[in-house]
Amino acid sequence: MPERPDKRMGLKEAVARLVRDGDRVYLGGFIQQDPCAAVHEIIRQGKKDLTVSKAAGLLSMDLLIGAGCVKRAITSYIWNPIPKPAHAFVRAVRQGIPRSVELQETSILALTLAYCAGALGLPYIPAKTLLGSDMLRRSPRLGDNEIKVSKSPFTGETCCLIPPLTHDVGIIQVQRADPSGNAQAWGFAGDTKYGMLSCRRIIVCAEEIVPPRVIEKDPDRTLIPAFRTHAVVEVPWGAHPSYTMGYYDTDWQFFHFYEEQTRTHAGFRSFLEEWVLGTSDRKEYMEKLGEERMEALRAPPWRAEPVSYGGFLRHRWLEES
Amino acid sequence: MRGSRQEEICPGVTPLEWMIVVASRQIRDGEVLLVGTQWPIVTALLAKRTCAPHAVICFEGGVILEDLPPRVPLWTADPVVGSSSSFQGDSLDILGAVLHAGVADRALLTAAAVDRYGNLATTCVGAYESPEMRFGGSGGACDFACLAKETMVIIEHERHRFPAQVDFITSPGFLHGDGSRYDAGLRQGTGPQCVVTTLGLFTFDERGEMVLSGTREGVCVEEVAAEVQWPLRVASGCRPLAGPTPEEIGILREVIDPQGVYLRNRKGAPHNRPSTQGTGTP
Repeated sequence: MPERPDKRMGLKEAVARLVRDGDRVYLGGFIQQDPCAAVHEIIRQGKKDLTVSKAAGLLSMDLLIGAGCVKRAITSYIWNPIPKPAHAFVRAVRQGIPRSVELQETSILALTLAYCAGALGLPYIPAKTLLGSDMLRRSPRLGDNEIKVSKSPFTGETCCLIPPLTHDVGIIQVQRADPSGNAQAWGFAGDTKYGMLSCRRIIVCAEEIVPPRVIEKDPDRTLIPAFRTHAVVEVPWGAHPSYTMGYYDTDWQFFHFYEEQTRTHAGFRSFLEEWVLGTSDRKEYMEKLGEERMEALRAPPWRAEPVSYGGFLRHRWLEES
Repeated sequence: MRGSRQEEICPGVTPLEWMIVVASRQIRDGEVLLVGTQWPIVTALLAKRTCAPHAVICFEGGVILEDLPPRVPLWTADPVVGSSSSFQGDSLDILGAVLHAGVADRALLTAAAVDRYGNLATTCVGAYESPEMRFGGSGGACDFACLAKETMVIIEHERHRFPAQVDFITSPGFLHGDGSRYDAGLRQGTGPQCVVTTLGLFTFDERGEMVLSGTREGVCVEEVAAEVQWPLRVASGCRPLAGPTPEEIGILREVIDPQGVYLRNRKGAPHNRPSTQGTGTP
């Protein structure tokens, strides 16, 4: 067997090599596993004119918008889950601060179907959501196309034709991956599976890097197969202040802190200076947060019963013949 | 507390508790529920411990809950659902194979505002391009409202939340009434079934207009009419509804939400606890 490519690299290198100005960027994770470490690095490197796409717009989306990296945002909502407004997003929409952002907003189902169409190479997917909503009237664009209302050629019923969405690069924070890029995630996935598979280049950030045999003994958990992955980055705590199932919980206190700090653009800038630009990587960021907080957030073990995939490494019929 | 009326309606029962209990009674046993965040969570959990033990709770991110979680979820994405759900997939499983497939009996939603025809706003107040107030957006709410057989809206009764017409229809109700919902292409028979507030219970007439069909004890019809921004129609059988029983209140307070995360907005609850203001620490 030829050796598998080792795609491990640092986050700085992965972002520098794979995220380009003007790219269409998909961010994986649905509320949980928000790829915040990678987003910090995108901001540090000053990437600009990005299209950022993600059904559940939380802190990562708000940060990128407030930092001025985003030209177009594709999403179903953007908020702070405490629940309060995502202030940078609201400033961009209402006042164009720090720059105006083209907002393409639709429902989670419509967006997930758009990613699905993009991932599968389908020209569109018909669906009976959005009908009657002002999102269809006022925000029909997805990517460079518009959602259209049409009739089924089979039943004649009215439906929306959801255009495909594809992306230049996808970034995801997962529980574990092997060095060649098989990425495993668990917990509810939201729009993540088809979102990631609609991307040409993929950066996998993982809480842990594991040997290939760990992946191969439990292949059901693999979300992204290695041949689709371009970079594998070990980033423990990479989703903070959101959570990674089985590793750490949501840091509610930090969401409150962020909400308080970012009510003005000046406040947002000083948050950015301190927590993003003022730290060189996730390790430094977590050290700044402190071991005490990390300990409070660490997930207590809650293990599944092991399953058997059946060890038919030999077969009686082959032995006999 | 966020409700406009803070007086207790009978010893110990707050208007918010009244709203949750009355909403939970609308749920029938065995129903498949699509549950949004905030009030819908406590409502669905209470129903599972009272009138609808076999109801199935689905969340938009890909979760199905058949049993009560060991503690109250702080939101629909709380990791506690990961250690107590019977299914975890993705949004296509829930919004597609359950909701779009027509299997969802009832959606439970709250909103920033609801209008005369049951249309919900969670996007903005004012013009879309230059909103006076901007909220998060739809999430899965529009999908719920389009596709569930019945939609129940649970919302604190404040006059500004009840405009004659919402500025932006995030999630369609009966649109402009008179069948306009079905003319837009949504499935026949779907739509808002009721709106439960801190003042009363509303249903919809054959034209799709909201009508008052029951009030909280001690609240008069005129008082409710003053809290909506259109001439309110009142159902002929409208009367004060039976209040929460001690059993329902006991379960709500002691089993479902003992910390008062939803119902008392208690400061100790993790997502209601502000950080140390002014010290510059997270």
